[in-house]
Amino acid sequence: MSHPDQGSPRDLAAAYALGALGPEETRDFEAFLAGSPETQREVAEFRDVAALLALGEPARAAGADLRNRVLARVSEEQSRRIPRSPSGSSGFRTPTAVWGALAATILAVVGLGAAILSLRGDLARLNQDLAERQLQLEAREATLNAILEPGVELYQLTSSGDPNPGIQLFWDRKRNSAIINGFRLKPVPEGKAYQLWFIKDGKPVPSVTFKPEPTGHARVEQVPVPTDGKVSAAAITVEPAGGSPQPTSPILLVGPLQKS
Amino acid sequence: MPKPAPPSAPPADHDLVGRAAQGDQQAISTLYDRYGGVLYAVAYRVVGQRADAEDVVIEAFAQAWRDAIRFEATRGSVAGWLTMIARSRALDVVRARSRRDRITASAAADQPQRSPAMGDWRADPSDSYDHAERQQQVQAALQTLSPPQRQAIELAFFEGLSQSEIAERLKEPLGTIKTRVRLGMQKLRDSLRPFFFERGP
Repeated sequence: MSHPDQGSPRDLAAAYALGALGPEETRDFEAFLAGSPETQREVAEFRDVAALLALGEPARAAGADLRNRVLARVSEEQSRRIPRSPSGSSGFRTPTAVWGALAATILAVVGLGAAILSLRGDLARLNQDLAERQLQLEAREATLNAILEPGVELYQLTSSGDPNPGIQLFWDRKRNSAIINGFRLKPVPEGKAYQLWFIKDGKPVPSVTFKPEPTGHARVEQVPVPTDGKVSAAAITVEPAGGSPQPTSPILLVGPLQKS
Repeated sequence: MPKPAPPSAPPADHDLVGRAAQGDQQAISTLYDRYGGVLYAVAYRVVGQRADAEDVVIEAFAQAWRDAIRFEATRGSVAGWLTMIARSRALDVVRARSRRDRITASAAADQPQRSPAMGDWRADPSDSYDHAERQQQVQAALQTLSPPQRQAIELAFFEGLSQSEIAERLKEPLGTIKTRVRLGMQKLRDSLRPFFFERGP
């Protein structure tokens, strides 16, 4: 895939990874990011750079019990996942329960300051989660709309030996663009990625690279389809993560791009 | 050079996150052994004192435990994910502190302590997660940046400023700041690529 010119959204990948974009810029960039596997990879690299920045400082000692405190906190989270027992639910309370409730109230008051701080953090996180989910939802809706556009054709890329993995290719001929949706894809080795090829005039034309999620799913949108020639098929191989100009490994999945 | 994990090595980071999502606390324990030091370094750099930095690390791992189910290996390394969580929680602390008129901050400022090595964090018998070499390389890579580039990057990451806020603070044009951040980060990426953290499949 070609690299965008200077001033393209991709130039913001480093700032995004550092958390240095304003809210609007972040929204716009994430919309762009959703459709650009290359930029996603770049952001992941810049995130590692950011994580490494802290190591530029002299190492400092934490308390010896920090590990235990972390694990205790996680245990506390674990216990919150467990549903409450019936005795903790509603109903008439016995005197013992009343004293217990009072004691709990006192503890609650003592911990109120900490709780407020914690709640503020939770609220900020929830807002962030909500914004992220909204973006995901919008991206999915956009994908659905793109697939349902009149004139979009669906083709299947299948594996000859193993019927398990598959790729659906939605070809929007009006826009010379495609969406690929993969499922049950095996993980690729470190440094490798799946690469899509269009077979045009009998020759493979390199297209996007992508890696599946741990669930085996992969989706790439806005994949340009070659226009100046007869595109008869599409295929998938495993190539170096940056992509290859020619296939260097056997075809894993293939399918015709012509209506029978 | 970093040592690749041997075939019989401890579980991969993304597997640990997967196990944490299933409720395996031992997975978080292992992640702490690997990256607790990195998270503490980030937290300390942002909040500037030990007690708050420790609280940040605790809350960061608690959040990682809650959010493990949403972790997407394709979006980067586990170390990067954990670091961003710790940074966000640390910035929350700093913001809350400034709202409290910095009373707590002035009362509890710690003196930096001399380095017990990052290796002290490792309970893992393998030395695959020893950050000492990474640390040396990061310090060397940071030296290759121009001071303005380094300043812009550090203001963004450790103080949570947007590029516009950095421009405002430094009284420089926004475009200049954007260029410094981009070129500086690209330079660091090129220098540090061999030291990136383990990636998912």
